[in-house]
Amino acid sequence: MNKLSDAELIDEIDRLRAQLAEANDTLEAIRTGQIDALVVSDHSGPSLFTLNSADRAYRLFIEQMSEGAVTLNSDGLIIYSNSQFARLVQRPLPQVMGNYFSDFVLDEDLPLFNGLLLRAWETNAKSEMRLKAENKKIDVQLSLNMLEMDEDTSLSVIITDLTQQKDIERELTAKNEQLRNLNNALIASNHDLQQFASVASHDLQEPLRKIQVFSKFLKDKGSDQLSETSKVYVDKIFNLSQRMKILIVDILTYSKLSANDALTAPVYLKEIVNEILDDFDLRIAEKNARVEVSDLCTVEGNRGQLRQVFFNLISNALKFVSPDRSPVIAIRMKKLDPVELGVSLDDHSQYCRVTVSDNGIGFEDTYASSIFSLFETLNPKTAYEGSGIGLAIAKKIVEKHHGLILAKSKVGEGSEFSIILPIKQPA
Amino acid sequence: MSATVKKVILVEDDSDDRELFLTFFSHRTDIHLLPPVANGLELVDYLKNITSDDDLPHLIVLDQNMPKMNGKQTLTFLKSNERYAQIPAVIYSTYTDATLVIDCKNLGAEMVSNKPIDHEGYQKMMDDFLQIVN
Repeated sequence: MNKLSDAELIDEIDRLRAQLAEANDTLEAIRTGQIDALVVSDHSGPSLFTLNSADRAYRLFIEQMSEGAVTLNSDGLIIYSNSQFARLVQRPLPQVMGNYFSDFVLDEDLPLFNGLLLRAWETNAKSEMRLKAENKKIDVQLSLNMLEMDEDTSLSVIITDLTQQKDIERELTAKNEQLRNLNNALIASNHDLQQFASVASHDLQEPLRKIQVFSKFLKDKGSDQLSETSKVYVDKIFNLSQRMKILIVDILTYSKLSANDALTAPVYLKEIVNEILDDFDLRIAEKNARVEVSDLCTVEGNRGQLRQVFFNLISNALKFVSPDRSPVIAIRMKKLDPVELGVSLDDHSQYCRVTVSDNGIGFEDTYASSIFSLFETLNPKTAYEGSGIGLAIAKKIVEKHHGLILAKSKVGEGSEFSIILPIKQPA
Repeated sequence: MSATVKKVILVEDDSDDRELFLTFFSHRTDIHLLPPVANGLELVDYLKNITSDDDLPHLIVLDQNMPKMNGKQTLTFLKSNERYAQIPAVIYSTYTDATLVIDCKNLGAEMVSNKPIDHEGYQKMMDDFLQIVN
């Protein structure tokens, strides 16, 4: 063993004292939580040591976050990473720490990242970019915040995985596109319907009217030259063409309801009911019918359309009369019955319920909702004239007015139709 | 209604409908049917060739759906022309809805009527038309 001189011993003591002071400083720094990690350089290159210190609670917290969290030193080296970030880039945690963060940024986005890094040393910075994992790109948002600790400054980076969000965005874009296409199809189909309405209104009705005219000619003028059977045929032709005329007009009315008519005029329902009863006075007298009308409310709506609803209902009540008794038709304002409606309304006073009831032939209650379908007729056409569109029109109008139409009936006893309309139309 | 026989002109492209006018109205002594014309353009020509205003028709019955110049277009021409504006003009059509009625009234039609299908209907329509002819 070498003998050292006194001077050499003193030097050695000073060197050891300095090392001890440095070690004490480091210990102090670790104790006060100023240091997260140590990079120790020796002949085998830099190696990194992280510390279990007093901020363990925060580290646990950061470990549990669903976001990736890393700390970068001034060179952009990752000096701390939570395991979520390692999972995100699909690398073992030890292989993440000690690497440059830029190693995980997609090459195309490097200029963006470097710019962000520069800005982050001045102020907090955020940006979306893409990272590279094993063999895929990951959309993320980076949020960089400067951390100043005594002499040293570092950057904390929160990495939010946007994969799901981007997937949802892409899905939303695709759905929007689908919706646009559907909407275009709808516009086209509405256009077709209007074309049809126009064709039905003229091109179909013109030849039909001629059939009516000429069969009427035969009926009136040629009757003495026709055999009894031929007369029956001519009658049938005439009646059927009448029927077809009604059908065409009803289809037209129905198809035109899609148009946006104003619904905001105050309509006194009793007034329109009285008008309709005037129109029907001949038929009422002929059938010896009694019609009772109570006071009715005033609602906001389209007068012509609401008139059509009551016209169709009253017309039905006068049509489907029982052969055994004189028709009695009652048109009344009734209290709303939430149980019967199957819905609860916030404020009954905002709605008006009008019933049109008769003592006619009625129908089986199982048909109570299907009778509002287009072309639904429950009775043989020969017995009761009708297009099967009247109630469908009524339903469409009531629904356009944000209301409800209901039917109940007993075979042989009569039917009751309820119309529930809001007093005011929603703005 | 004055005692003079009213000159009525039908503007109609459909030959059956022109025929029906003759069939249903030729017996009437209160009207004189002028030779019908097939559309608005022909009517304009016809009217221009009448030199004396006394020979102008008392009533013009217009079909709505016609080629070249339909009922509404013809109405527009008639009502904007000083010589013809005072002649009562009516529209009759296979299908009349509220829109057609309002449009034609706005354009100055005295009446808008559905095309009838029988003798009674035709007589009633003409009686109504003549109410507005002085």
